[in-house]
Amino acid sequence: MQALHTAATGMAAQELNVQVISNNIANLRTTGFKKQTAAFQDLIYEHIRRVGAQASDQGTILPVGVDIGGGVKTVGTPRSMTQGTLSQTGNDLDLAISGEGFFKILMPDGTFQYTRDGTFQMDNQGRVVTAGGNPVQPTITIPNNASGITVNEQGQVSVTLPGSSSNTVLGQIGVTRFINKAGLQPVGSNQFIETTSSGTPQDGIANSEGYGKITQGSLEQANVDVVSEMSDLIAAQRAYEMNAKVISAADQMMQSTTALFR
Amino acid sequence: MQNALLIGLSRQMTLERQMDVIANNVANANTNGFKADHSLFEEYLNSNAHEDNFVGSDRRVSYVQDRGTYRDVGQGPMEATNNPLDMAISGNAFFAVQVNGAERYTRDGKFALSSTGQLITSDGNLVLGTSGPIVFQPTDHDINVAPDGTVTVLEGTAKTDSIRGKIRMVTFDDPAKLTKLGANLYGAGSANQQADAKSTLQQGYIEKSNVNSVGEMSRMVEVMRSYTAIANLLQQQSDLHKSAIEKLADVPA
Repeated sequence: MQALHTAATGMAAQELNVQVISNNIANLRTTGFKKQTAAFQDLIYEHIRRVGAQASDQGTILPVGVDIGGGVKTVGTPRSMTQGTLSQTGNDLDLAISGEGFFKILMPDGTFQYTRDGTFQMDNQGRVVTAGGNPVQPTITIPNNASGITVNEQGQVSVTLPGSSSNTVLGQIGVTRFINKAGLQPVGSNQFIETTSSGTPQDGIANSEGYGKITQGSLEQANVDVVSEMSDLIAAQRAYEMNAKVISAADQMMQSTTALFR
Repeated sequence: MQNALLIGLSRQMTLERQMDVIANNVANANTNGFKADHSLFEEYLNSNAHEDNFVGSDRRVSYVQDRGTYRDVGQGPMEATNNPLDMAISGNAFFAVQVNGAERYTRDGKFALSSTGQLITSDGNLVLGTSGPIVFQPTDHDINVAPDGTVTVLEGTAKTDSIRGKIRMVTFDDPAKLTKLGANLYGAGSANQQADAKSTLQQGYIEKSNVNSVGEMSRMVEVMRSYTAIANLLQQQSDLHKSAIEKLADVPA
């Protein structure tokens, strides 16, 4: 009985759906997190009676066919890259991008990773690093006698050095764009890596030509909307239950047949 | 006497297929742009029954067979996603996509960009505009899609919109003639397509599946009960048969 297998694909799909939703909810308070949604597609159809086939010698054409579908499959879990709300923290090195772009991070193996999480700190050498200790690109080293760190909308970092009345510009934090940012691959720790689907990184200056601007003293919150996640969760659970009901109904039908001739 | 068995069997086979159709609808309750299928049955008269040779009262035997599955092409509910590349059609039109060189149609508006900036479906197939694929430049931002499908962006530092194409929406005289190909795609076959002028496109929304879960569940119960009722009928027939053989063959000593 096909219905059993069809409903099984439905249950598997909803299980994955719940997994995706629970990951979104788990990352509700993760800085710079971008939510995912599971996308499904129907499976191929068995055409038992093909539409448009000739039904009689007189040339009657079947207006509808008998098409039996095989269920559902998961096609992907696209990431919604919409802007998260900014929350103020007041920390000098907390940076948020509003608009396009990612911070570029140098990893210990020499590769680059990208993030929207601007929770930066200083390491023992004075470099601006992520919470994971990896330097933000281009590397900015803050002298240990500096005070009054300011980061402007373009990402320019300036400090006041003792004995100097004017600000000293130390460098500029870059932002990187991708033509298809949804195609980045998440690697955990709020970071993404480039893939063939994301396109090549385009380094640029914040607040220019379609790049977002940098806000100092703020962090970008996750773009997860709790209410819609909860309603999606309920919908997924109900869909799962319905598929389970189909299985038990199909099972009862089979049972009535197998019980026939004792 | 065999006729009752065969008629019951013909109904059970169609019920089994109807159950398959329901299972597929339920499995796709969360599939974007999915359209539910429903089963149709017809009477099949056995024209050359041997019984017709008898003079008089014999009637032709009537069986059941599938006539078709028709599609509920009704609008599915719209879900807001705030994603600028998600599009939903309100109306009867379909998006045109290019799959392996052939043109296919879909209602699933969960679109994305390729690494070269082309508008693609979740499967990586090109979404077609009125004049070929829709391609974005690397510096494009603020993508806006008008209700008629016109895609505009702000390019770089520009303050005025640049047009990137127009999403092609097509309709069919008889959308039921479209064949479901799986992967949320429809094939046109012999159906004639024409440009659509009535449907509108909504950016930032996704059309969900139009499966009516309450209807599917009640239909499922109905199918299950009819199936078991026929199974009981067959059982009774068989019992009748058995007792007839036993009684008739019971030669008194």
